[in-house]
Amino acid sequence: MDVNFRKIDIDQFDEDVLHESELYEADPRDPYEVLEEAKQRQAAVRTSLARSDIAGALSIVLENAPYGPNVEEAKNLTLQTLLSILNSTKSTEITGVIKSLSPDAQDTLMKYLYKGMGLPGWGDISGSVLLGWHEKLTEVAGVGCIVRTMTDRRIV
Amino acid sequence: MAPQVYALSQTPVTSHAFNADRTKVCISLNSNEAQILSPKGSEWVVNETLSEHDKVITSIDWAPNSNRIVTASQDRNAYVWQETPDPETGKIIWKPTLVLLRINRAATYVRWSPKEDKFAVASGARAIAICSFDEENNWWVAKQLKKPIRSTVLSVDWHPNNVLLAAGSADLKARVFSAYIKEVDERPSPTVWGSKLPFNTICGEYSSPSGGWVHAVGFSPSGDVLAFASHDSTISIVYPSGPAVYNIRLPALPLVSLTWTSENGIVAAGHDCRPLVFSGSEQGWQEAGTLDDSKSGGASGSGFGAGTPGRLKSGAFATFRDADVRGQSSIGGAGQTDTKLTTIHQNTITSVRPYEIVNGEVTKVSTSGVDGSLVLWDTNEVSAITGRLGAAHLR
Repeated sequence: MDVNFRKIDIDQFDEDVLHESELYEADPRDPYEVLEEAKQRQAAVRTSLARSDIAGALSIVLENAPYGPNVEEAKNLTLQTLLSILNSTKSTEITGVIKSLSPDAQDTLMKYLYKGMGLPGWGDISGSVLLGWHEKLTEVAGVGCIVRTMTDRRIV
Repeated sequence: MAPQVYALSQTPVTSHAFNADRTKVCISLNSNEAQILSPKGSEWVVNETLSEHDKVITSIDWAPNSNRIVTASQDRNAYVWQETPDPETGKIIWKPTLVLLRINRAATYVRWSPKEDKFAVASGARAIAICSFDEENNWWVAKQLKKPIRSTVLSVDWHPNNVLLAAGSADLKARVFSAYIKEVDERPSPTVWGSKLPFNTICGEYSSPSGGWVHAVGFSPSGDVLAFASHDSTISIVYPSGPAVYNIRLPALPLVSLTWTSENGIVAAGHDCRPLVFSGSEQGWQEAGTLDDSKSGGASGSGFGAGTPGRLKSGAFATFRDADVRGQSSIGGAGQTDTKLTTIHQNTITSVRPYEIVNGEVTKVSTSGVDGSLVLWDTNEVSAITGRLGAAHLR
């Protein structure tokens, strides 16, 4: 018997297996469009930051965040843009900024915080900055926000 | 009226069901036996034990009018229990009848239909078995709802018309099925969910945008509204006639069980260890508060340290001794252990059921949970939520 039966991927042969893609609504936008949008948002955020409008900048970058399988570059770009905002906010202003975000934006921000915590050393990720934001966001949005990050299949 | 708390056991109460006049309750303590308890003074004592299942009983339901109990278990079977006189002794005992569900995975949830001529068993076999009694052969037959369920069905709820069934599943969807059985049901009149509904028609499929297993579903008393609670800490209310779906995001841990108290009110509970009340209408829904004002829970626990007076038990000596021997560093406190929660339930509430109904509105609900206690709540005593994080507070 020369087939290594313990390493066969049984799901390949199962017609009725549940795929990851069936669990959420796929992003209807085309990957190229998504990348263009991400670049435009980066420019918009830079202008907002120049005017010291942190809350506005955050709302722009968190709205319609790219998710799903084909948009890796757009996702990285959005993460980069977001990090630039997070790193440049003073710790005393964080709570005020978070309170001005919509609940959707708060959930998306939590997703990015966890994404950042999973990539230590990528770009200019600073663990202490992320943890500081995480603490303030949990105080405002509650543990429910963290639970939604775990269950939401629309991975940013 | 303060909530009545009954500590039934140290093991979790997997499921509970009261009989019609609330003089008996049937519970499963995470084992393959179900116990019927009756009140004695201020406690509940075991009256009878129903043992027929081989594995853990996951769900129990007691039909109020026909006085039959149905139990579903991880051993892929369900039994219908009926009170009959024992042929040998003449005493009234509960006699079980096996129901062949033809599922190849555990049964997770069971509910009698409003007319009590059918019951629905949700299972891990990605199917729901609708069981009805076949008079000719004198046994229960099961028909399965399979498409398009893609994963374990976690809970079911019947529509008042005895035909429609809502099901919440681990494939992140809440669906409304038609469970119309030709021999048993008469043709139902059209509802907001549709008309002309053969068996296994999908009348609606809903999910929460942030995903999460759908732990609990419930139809409103009229049947025109569907509510479901999912693991992403949200509760959604669907008005198919709107059409409108209201999705309430919670800052607390997910809800696992819910029940409607009236057309405009829901009581739901879950991992946050306390029942939450929601109210609303077709225009919108919001959280109205909680039935557990945490102050009452804390008061009963703090009497610990103030036991007998004596030099060695009070003041500075006790504080330093506790810090040394037990590692407790509460200065000036009564030595209260840090692990007791401020809510009445000390662990997840797994089941919320209506207890008392007055004029069509539920005035009391009963909850049971992983902490082994059964609590009766008055649904009108809603207090605002003080600690935003509930039982899961950061220390």
